[in-house]
Amino acid sequence: MGLFQKLALFLGIRKKEVNVLVIGLNNSGKSTVINHFKNDEDKASDIVPTVGFSIERFQNQNLAFTAFDMSGHGKYRDLWEHYYKDCHGIIFVVDSSDRLRLVVVKDELDILLQHPDVCNRKIPVLFFANKMDCKDALSSVKIAAGLGMDKIMDKPWHISASNALTGEGLNEGVEWLTQQIREYIVNNKF
Amino acid sequence: MSRSDLNISRWLDAHSDRGAGLQVLLNGAVLADVAGDGDHRLVVADVKLQPDTRSRLKVYRGTLLTSDQTLPDIPSAVITFYPDNLEPKVPAVGITCGLDLLMYKNNKPYFKFSVPSLPISALEDEVWTKFKHKNEHDLTQLVDSLKTVPYNTLTSRSQKLLLLKPEDAADFVDKFKDKELKRYSPITCATTLQRNSSEWNSVSCPVLATEIGQIYILDPQNLSILHQASVSVSKATPSVIRAIGLFDVEYRILIATREGLVCLLRRGWLEGRNVLQATTYIVDMVIMPADNFIILATMDKTLSCYSKKGSKLWSQELKQQITCLTLVPLKHLSMTLIGVGMKGGSIHLYRTRHFVDYVSIPDTPSSLLFGKMGQEDHVLVTITTSGILDIKILKRTADFNLTQQSTASNPILQNKPLPLPKRSKLFLEQSARERQNPIEMHQHFQQDLIRLRLNAARALVQSQGDQTGVGNDKELIKLSAQVLGLGPKFTLILNLENMNGDKALIDLTMIFHCKSSIYQLSHYVLRIPLVPPGLIYKAEIKVEDVSSDDFQGQNPVQSVKVFCTRGDDTHPILAATINMPPTDLNII
Ligand SMILES: Nc1nc2c(ncn2[C@@H]2O[C@H](COP(=O)(O)OP(=O)(O)OP(=O)(O)O)[C@@H](O)[C@H]2O)c(=O)[nH]1
Ligand SMILES: [Mg+2]
Repeated sequence: MGLFQKLALFLGIRKKEVNVLVIGLNNSGKSTVINHFKNDEDKASDIVPTVGFSIERFQNQNLAFTAFDMSGHGKYRDLWEHYYKDCHGIIFVVDSSDRLRLVVVKDELDILLQHPDVCNRKIPVLFFANKMDCKDALSSVKIAAGLGMDKIMDKPWHISASNALTGEGLNEGVEWLTQQIREYIVNNKF
Repeated sequence: MSRSDLNISRWLDAHSDRGAGLQVLLNGAVLADVAGDGDHRLVVADVKLQPDTRSRLKVYRGTLLTSDQTLPDIPSAVITFYPDNLEPKVPAVGITCGLDLLMYKNNKPYFKFSVPSLPISALEDEVWTKFKHKNEHDLTQLVDSLKTVPYNTLTSRSQKLLLLKPEDAADFVDKFKDKELKRYSPITCATTLQRNSSEWNSVSCPVLATEIGQIYILDPQNLSILHQASVSVSKATPSVIRAIGLFDVEYRILIATREGLVCLLRRGWLEGRNVLQATTYIVDMVIMPADNFIILATMDKTLSCYSKKGSKLWSQELKQQITCLTLVPLKHLSMTLIGVGMKGGSIHLYRTRHFVDYVSIPDTPSSLLFGKMGQEDHVLVTITTSGILDIKILKRTADFNLTQQSTASNPILQNKPLPLPKRSKLFLEQSARERQNPIEMHQHFQQDLIRLRLNAARALVQSQGDQTGVGNDKELIKLSAQVLGLGPKFTLILNLENMNGDKALIDLTMIFHCKSSIYQLSHYVLRIPLVPPGLIYKAEIKVEDVSSDDFQGQNPVQSVKVFCTRGDDTHPILAATINMPPTDLNII
């Protein structure tokens, strides 16, 4: 038993399931990101645009994640807010090669941060600047600036550049999120 | 982050490229999935008119220019269409340049269609044959003879010859005399018409219009002519063309001409019909998808709407010259707005005649597009006269419901026609019947009318004779009366009902009026005791007919009036007239 597991056991959160909400515009790579964390036998070989949402489970550092993979299509974005309340962390996937829609990402992010179920909580937000392998991809620094992330004062946030196809950058990001959720759970005495 | 950080505009400024240097004509750009990967691109025919520049075909993927190639001639229109149903579905881009429609697929030219040549006048043909054989000295004479042919029926070669200085004519003739003489009319505008399905990515046919007013509908696969027609009987130079419907089923092609006409061409027609005549030059035209209304922008800063038959429904005078129009279909809100680009750089959005929104761009737009770009469904692309490429995205949360204020627009402009129903089949059949047997129908009608009047009169008599009661809804009291006896002595029984469930009636007085020469009553004033809620007070009055014998029977109907008053109030709260039956002395 590793130190973390012991600690987790000690804190009584070993069996704790945590919910993370995976949001972002359509085609940003949310389903591909989640697919990376699934066990090899569960991995989908072909990823199609999500309709509505789908629920996926995976483990990271002995924490059982339930990921709500939301569809990013405009007509389904209304669904996101119904899951804000019960989630312990948010993964926001951005297609860094889609320069045209960076404003749309910012608009959705602003709506998210102002939502009553989000604005008063210190809920951690992880950003993936995905598709970093594309040749016209913006750097994660540029994306952070473009989205005005420096203005997020009251929540822990982190951005990592990622390539969901190869898995590059994904583990680093999710480790950060796991850490944050542990702290969050401890502080909020779940 | 505060609420004020959110922009109140419905639009997000996605991109603005001041250095794009694009020069486009009306309808010189389209949005289409030209790579077939679901990532819709902007295809622009960039017109360069300077002597040693070439026009270019440019493709933008998102904000980046991904393809740029030269065009053989100055492009007049860009269209895009799916030539077949083969997977993967990749649309073709068609560019009209001069006489040709050039087809590109995956950014490579792969097909070309040239409009057929036109007949050449015998005289012109003869002149050019003579040029081949005759010597220099005949030249001026021959050129003069060309002048007798109407200028617009000449080939462009002869037209040019006539415009040359006499000393240059010989060289010009030498250069061209051995080449075949052909007359063409260049393509001025183009559109597409869906073939047999209205699905957005189903096969559609290119539709071309030439300067002399010929319309060609082409087979999208091999570019053969499926149908050919002329725009109008009169001289008509197409400037904007729009098509709706399906080629195989029923379609309408509307052509706005430089002469200010709008002509309609339908399936099977060889010649278009004039639908309407605008008073000034038509700048742009769009067709509303649901009701096929024609929206015209004219030079006199007016946006007007016509029914599909051509009658004017409304018009709106704007502050600025209109330069271009676009439809803004919003499926999720089930409405279609009209985007109006205006001089100076404002774009107004209209929901029918009502102004709903505006966006500003740096300068006058020369082409407006709304549709899917990249992964986004609601993108407004503007290319301005100074070459700026501006891209705006409609917010997901935007709605265009008319507020109370905007519906109450300028009253002078509310010359909306009455919402008369269409002439139905029933109506037409009825009018046919009327024409067949008018006399009979008139008589029937008159009979029915008389019967109706009779019924109405009967009902009136009945309600007058019915003395079951009068009431006062506000005071919640009701009075009913009954006359007993045959006369000359009668008994009048009055029932005063308190219909109020909570309050008792107090302090009421009943007063009786009658002609003292006819009737004598036992009481003229009755003080009514308290009537508890929901109960009835019953009063009895004796009435005696005292009229002299001569009058009896002559005034068959006489009446006694009853008033109810409260306290000292002179205003009755209830009044009733009781008709007394005549005294029939013969019975007695
Ligand atoms: N080049 C590249 N492509 C990626 C990357 N991540 C995802 N994609 C591709 O992007 C496309 C969309 O990915 P999805 O995972 O379906 O996107 P999504 O965010 O789930 O989309 P919706 O379910 O429609 O909201 C797929 O074709 C992926 O293969 C990446 O890091 N690099
Ligand atoms: Mg998905």
